[in-house]
Amino acid sequence: MLTQLILNAFISASIYILIAVSFTIIFRVVRFFHFTHAVIFTAGAYFVFFLRMELSFPFLIAVPTAIFASALLGCLIELTIYRSLRAKSTPPLVMLLVSLGIYIVLQNIISIAFGDDTKIIRSNLITEGFNLFGARITFIQGLTICTTIILLLLLVLFLKITRTGKAIRAVSSDPELAAISGIESSRIIIWAFAIGSAICGLAGILLSFDVGMTPTMGLTALMMGLVVAIIGGLANVSGIVLGGLLLGLAQQLGIWKFGAEWQDAIAFGILLGFLIVKPQGILGKNTKKATI
Amino acid sequence: MLKIKKLETGYGEKQILFGLTLEIREGEIVALIGPNGAGKSTALKAACSLLPVWRGEIIFNDNIINNYTTAQKVAKGITLAPQASRVFGDMTVMENLEIAGFQLSRREFANRLTQIFEMFPLLKERIRQYAGKLSGGEQQMLSLARALVPNPKILMLDEPSLGLSPKLVNSIFNKIVDINIKTGVTILIVEQKVRKVLEICHRVYSLKLGKVSFEGTPKELVEDNLKLKNLFL
Ligand SMILES: Nc1ncnc2c1ncn2[C@@H]1O[C@H](COP(=O)(O)OP(=O)(O)O)[C@@H](O)[C@H]1O
Ligand SMILES: [Mg+2]
Repeated sequence: MLTQLILNAFISASIYILIAVSFTIIFRVVRFFHFTHAVIFTAGAYFVFFLRMELSFPFLIAVPTAIFASALLGCLIELTIYRSLRAKSTPPLVMLLVSLGIYIVLQNIISIAFGDDTKIIRSNLITEGFNLFGARITFIQGLTICTTIILLLLLVLFLKITRTGKAIRAVSSDPELAAISGIESSRIIIWAFAIGSAICGLAGILLSFDVGMTPTMGLTALMMGLVVAIIGGLANVSGIVLGGLLLGLAQQLGIWKFGAEWQDAIAFGILLGFLIVKPQGILGKNTKKATI
Repeated sequence: MLKIKKLETGYGEKQILFGLTLEIREGEIVALIGPNGAGKSTALKAACSLLPVWRGEIIFNDNIINNYTTAQKVAKGITLAPQASRVFGDMTVMENLEIAGFQLSRREFANRLTQIFEMFPLLKERIRQYAGKLSGGEQQMLSLARALVPNPKILMLDEPSLGLSPKLVNSIFNKIVDINIKTGVTILIVEQKVRKVLEICHRVYSLKLGKVSFEGTPKELVEDNLKLKNLFL
């Protein structure tokens, strides 16, 4: 029982962490609440559904293409809409509203194109399971955990080692100082959208393999991801990982003790607790200047 | 080399500079002094596109560069060491220098690094330390080094002596003169330590309420105490 609980916690934590990390990468360079991130999550899943179930592409082509398409979608939104608004120094609150607007439009497009019912991607790979220390885990759940671990390691290496990764950190931590170092922030922002949207799309794909997809799946997922990101101080990967594990465990414990309907209440209870007891977790020391 | 003509700018609706005009010639050290809040930092920020130019012109080697981005100005050879020795505190000294050399090729950066370490031997011993953990004087050195990494033609310094002990103030001023003589880089320096900066600069501008209130040689001010005092009233 306990192993199953911990395992389930890891599975949901993985998705939360992927969303939180990808949201944070973008948030820290654009400094507004990029709400459209939710629909990138959904779009990733539906891209795979479309390519796999309607065009019958093999998984090995459908999944990478869908990840690429998610990244492209994020970049397009940045290039066509956010960039020109930023040039006019649009306040963050207005940017949030614009982002919310794009979210609604895109979610409706998905809804019209595919319907509101739950779509499932069928495959043996997905439903087959195995036993792990007495707990049951499906192949896709195992893949979700492994992918998350590998992606996080790659991401940390990218941010630590590469020129672009360092530039992303620089723009995140002090945009003016980054600019006078010769970094063109608009280019770095595109990178952040590409990476963040790819990871977010992949998270959507992984979750949809496990539990299916609906056009509103991204919204719920982003809310949980945000709780994790905020617990993690909207800053570093390690804080987010801790936040994700904490939320995952608390939710599984809650489900076990009180029932599944308490999941959201637990998440927001934890968020509230953090806001009251450890508010510095919300705005990490380098995001002071950022508003919603 | 750098001319600022009738510059007007500010923050949001609030105008700070009202037609600022100054010129810095190649190889010079020019000081920009004046009371707190006169708009000295604002002038430097506008000069490197951290603030938009409302009216007026920024001219670099006879080209109007108003519309260049900050990064494009760095590529042209205009760099800034901002006020309060800003560094990336959550990154190591080495990472700070690498980011400062963002536009350089690997080879250029390696060469530049050797020269920088010759100028600032102390930094070499600190490369793995987090910049936020350095002392005030060390952070100021790093800030200066960062602005020098791209090999600028004109270096703008915003109160490099801020918050330093008198001994360190002397050493940073010596460093600045040294850099100017050895590398020939042109320097525009904003300073509150007026007596000190008058010792090292070739020419001086004083700002009051967003306009130039005095322009001349440091000698004129050193010899006329009353005139100097009036600039700060
Ligand atoms: N980010 C800002 N937003 C609004 N006003 C500012 C900002 N920075 C500076 N100011 C105002 O601009 C004026 C000039 O500031 P500054 O250029 O920093 O002066 P100095 O460097 O000469 O001391 C001051 O009145 C200051 O309050
Ligand atoms: Mg100032």
